[in-house]
Amino acid sequence: MNAYLQFATKEAREIVYTWRIWVLPAIMLFFAISGPVVARFTPEIIGAVGGAGLDQLVLPSPTYLDAYSGWIKNLSQITLFAIIIIYGGIVSSELRSGTALLVLTKPVSRTAFVAVKAVVNCVFVSMLLGAGTLVTWAITAAIFGPAPPGPLWSSAAIWLVLAILFIAIMTFLSVVIGSAAGASGGGIGAFVLLSVAAIWTPLSDYSPAGLAVHAAALAAGASTPSLVWPVVTSLTVSLILVAGAAALFRRKEL
Amino acid sequence: MSDAIAATALSKAFGSKLALDNVDLTVDEGSIFGFLGPNGAGKTTMLRLLTGLARPTSGSVRVLGHDVTSAGNSVRAEIGFLPDVPAFYDWMTAEQFLDFAGGLFGLRGAAQRDRIEMLLDLSGLGGVTARIGDYSRGMKQRLGIAQALINAPRLLLLDEPTSALDPIGRKEVLDMVASLRGRTTVFFSTHILGDVERVCDTVAILDRGRIVAHAPIDDLKRQYGQHKIVIQVTEGAQMLAAAIATCAWAASAAQGSHDTIEVAVSDIEAARREIPALVASQGTGLVRMEAGEMGLEEVFVELVGGARS
Repeated sequence: MNAYLQFATKEAREIVYTWRIWVLPAIMLFFAISGPVVARFTPEIIGAVGGAGLDQLVLPSPTYLDAYSGWIKNLSQITLFAIIIIYGGIVSSELRSGTALLVLTKPVSRTAFVAVKAVVNCVFVSMLLGAGTLVTWAITAAIFGPAPPGPLWSSAAIWLVLAILFIAIMTFLSVVIGSAAGASGGGIGAFVLLSVAAIWTPLSDYSPAGLAVHAAALAAGASTPSLVWPVVTSLTVSLILVAGAAALFRRKEL
Repeated sequence: MSDAIAATALSKAFGSKLALDNVDLTVDEGSIFGFLGPNGAGKTTMLRLLTGLARPTSGSVRVLGHDVTSAGNSVRAEIGFLPDVPAFYDWMTAEQFLDFAGGLFGLRGAAQRDRIEMLLDLSGLGGVTARIGDYSRGMKQRLGIAQALINAPRLLLLDEPTSALDPIGRKEVLDMVASLRGRTTVFFSTHILGDVERVCDTVAILDRGRIVAHAPIDDLKRQYGQHKIVIQVTEGAQMLAAAIATCAWAASAAQGSHDTIEVAVSDIEAARREIPALVASQGTGLVRMEAGEMGLEEVFVELVGGARS
């Protein structure tokens, strides 16, 4: 257990002391701040861009739900892409640089090496999501007045399950594919596949494919079917992917 | 004395290429063992098998009594390893890396602090506050050795530990390795023969995945020294060397300084009988004729270089 904690501490400190502390937090903070502002001024922006041609178009007044929807939409697209790209080398980067050799010839199992990386980065993304959602919530309240927490936090929680799934997918792909770019390509393929699968309602309601759609619906204040199945299947698939990654990594020649 | 390393019929193939071919090797506990071979001979592959980073294609390897392929953490807890090009987390300092490495072995508190301080001094990195990313290759190599010693290992595996060091750094590392004699088994892969001669008790020479010699260094030199004769004559060394070179028992005859000739011989008895007659026939005087001692370099070249020519 000591080695697990020691390695987890290293992973956490690596986030703080390297570029990792800037990229994802900057992306999420940008959307957390800009989302409510963009939502508030969308009618004015459209009017300015459209000019006289859109004078007859009457847009409904924006509400806090538009700010929430903007936040979740940005998380489900650009932030998820960033996660896919950043975590393409979650395991393989240490193999390529050679740092894994010094760790794996010490009393650290390969399972621990893979699992700790996945867990620490899930915690990191959770913390960023919490902070970002808090910022969005505060700015939304400042701009729109009352901002009920339910739709925002429930949709953020569903997105977190999706983010965990993608960190697990990237962990698996990073073990299978030695190149970070190759693994990211695979991750984008998985994203497209899930997006397409979400079109079919049974898959959307019972599998990870529906998470993004349901998160968006929750943020918009719409009703959704029970999300137990998508959440349970997503977390189960995430566990299987990380366990599979660890099993493959144990058999890998370094 | 028990074996720190015991490899039996060990082979490792990468596709159709055999990196290690039926290697049998034992290393006594407490010895400093030189694992010599030219680049590409299979030294790094051997170290990867010993550390469990790779698995044998066939055969077995036991390290400190454990089967490496199944022992896991129990064997890793007792070894220290320095790869040929050690890579570190560039954002750490040397002290932070040693703290991290020690923590992986369960070291804590004052014992860990004392050990880190001692190793930083030993590696000449005490007081260096720069991040590892700013280190020279030599500094990284010295840190690599320090981290390999953090757990006071029973077996220290070093892959080309002096290859990136300047002469002073090399001497310091070799002195450090020599100081471990009797306390830690050191398995030391290199292609630098002088380093092996300086600190190792026993040597194995690997060529194209096969062990071509395995013996205490003195035995090896003695064995091959018997096949070398040094002759000094009063004059005409060049003509005598040419005459000797035509003899069936002479593998080579090279003229040295001061009318000396170094003769590598395949039949020592025939050489002893015929050389005085050849000297006489050339009309020159024999100053001395003695068995020469081969250096490890010559042994190495004979065993490895000969097979390549």
